[in-house]
Amino acid sequence: MTAGRSLGQFYPVASPLHGLDARAKILDTGILAVGLFLVDSVAGLLLISAVVALLVAASRVPPGTFVGFLRPVVFIVALTVLFQVFFSREGEMLLRWGFLEVHEGGITTGLFLALRILLLVSTASLLTATTAPIALTDSIEDLLSPLKRLRFPAHELAMMTTIALRFIPTLHDEAQKIMRAQAARGADFSEGGPIRRAQAMLPVLVALTIGAFRSADELAEAMESRGYRGGEGRTRYREQCFRARDALGLGAAVLVVVGGVLV
Amino acid sequence: MRIEAQDVRYVYAPGTPFEVEALRGVSLAVEPDEVLGIVGGTGSGKSTLAQHLNLLLVPMSGRVLVDGVDARKMARSELRRRVGLVFQFPEAALFAPTVEEDVAFAPRRLGLDEEETRERVRETLELLGVSHLASRFPHALSGGEKRRVAIAGVLAMAPEVLVLDEPTAGLDPATREDLLGVVRSLRKGGTSIVMVSHDLDEVAEVADRVCVLEGGEVQAAGAPEEVFYVHTALAPATVRVVRPLRETHPGLGRPVRFEETLAGLKGLLEGRG
Repeated sequence: MTAGRSLGQFYPVASPLHGLDARAKILDTGILAVGLFLVDSVAGLLLISAVVALLVAASRVPPGTFVGFLRPVVFIVALTVLFQVFFSREGEMLLRWGFLEVHEGGITTGLFLALRILLLVSTASLLTATTAPIALTDSIEDLLSPLKRLRFPAHELAMMTTIALRFIPTLHDEAQKIMRAQAARGADFSEGGPIRRAQAMLPVLVALTIGAFRSADELAEAMESRGYRGGEGRTRYREQCFRARDALGLGAAVLVVVGGVLV
Repeated sequence: MRIEAQDVRYVYAPGTPFEVEALRGVSLAVEPDEVLGIVGGTGSGKSTLAQHLNLLLVPMSGRVLVDGVDARKMARSELRRRVGLVFQFPEAALFAPTVEEDVAFAPRRLGLDEEETRERVRETLELLGVSHLASRFPHALSGGEKRRVAIAGVLAMAPEVLVLDEPTAGLDPATREDLLGVVRSLRKGGTSIVMVSHDLDEVAEVADRVCVLEGGEVQAAGAPEEVFYVHTALAPATVRVVRPLRETHPGLGRPVRFEETLAGLKGLLEGRG
């Protein structure tokens, strides 16, 4: 039993955002994501930042936890900023150190990009934090279902995604268990350099992989023995329903993006 | 060696919606040269407690003392060697291409040389009756064989205390009997055993002392006859048979193990016949 605080973690509480239709939320996220690339003024980005901050508050996910979701991308953001700062030659030159030059344009584009990436990840995290994984994949299937006419395997894709998502915590728990079992046999995962540590992980990875194949076999058998035979004619236990507030949300998302582009 | 847990508390995922209070102030001692049975329902905190005995989990409050010394002050590697822990379904952690290699993992980690390691592996495989499997691929073995190999993987460290978490779960009766035999012979050899189980019958067969855990608290601890004849909900088959008979035949005493119970009942029948 472990509780990760990582990117894409569902945070099960009751909030206005949790109550929205998942399909609408995916579309909202999509609209905001596209919007983030259309907006190219600082004021516009600040407007979207304010909206995202309001949404985080409305989601009832504690701000500290939410910031924790963003931790994995901090490295990428930092790298992006550094690249912009050192390699952009736009605007007035502020600093010169050997072959490195820092220009004003580099700093502004760097910060702009950093904010854009963080907002992008924030909106995506809002979606995953407020939407149960099952609702998420059901919605992906619904949204992709028009493509079924073109023989696009929407159901299979959604089922695979569901299973993959469902198995992340399972594999994580299993890895923890095996690590503790190997630790009980004297394995040490924290000592030595990166190579020693990677070597220490080998007994864990081998055992974990063998276990994963076994789980996959068992799952396939369990699904077949319960009569699973693909998506055709399959009904759902949880039906989603698109309400007025979902439409309002979509409208608001479009308005925010238009507002962001115009200011 | 003596291990003592003092008012140990442990909470999984504190401060999140997934929070679970697993141990709520457990005090318990594992005496030298005994088989301590820990029983209790699922979710009673048995496995969590087991992992505290070699500090794979560190108590959030309270302490674990090893021979009177706070275990946190001991080197982890030394503690893990002296207190061997076999997890539930330990075969999930088998990884080496051969049984021999897998069992050799722990002795090698302890820094034993090749000669000593080979000797250790040979001894432990023999003790568990799987010497003939030494060069096989562990995952191609049967469930019972895998279980024995996995237990050998911990026993190869020659621990002073062996903690077994549900060692017989999912095994056939013959393998189960064999494993209980291993427990008995280890105890004779001076190894203390902590056996976590919800199979009351097997605990009754090997335990010198029993501790009942419920909802993360110690509900009862003591000699098997004290515990099993008082806590009626948790009684092995032998006790369930003898307890009602004792009302009319107090001479039966309070047998717990199968052999004692059988002898008592035989005496009763012959006395009448």
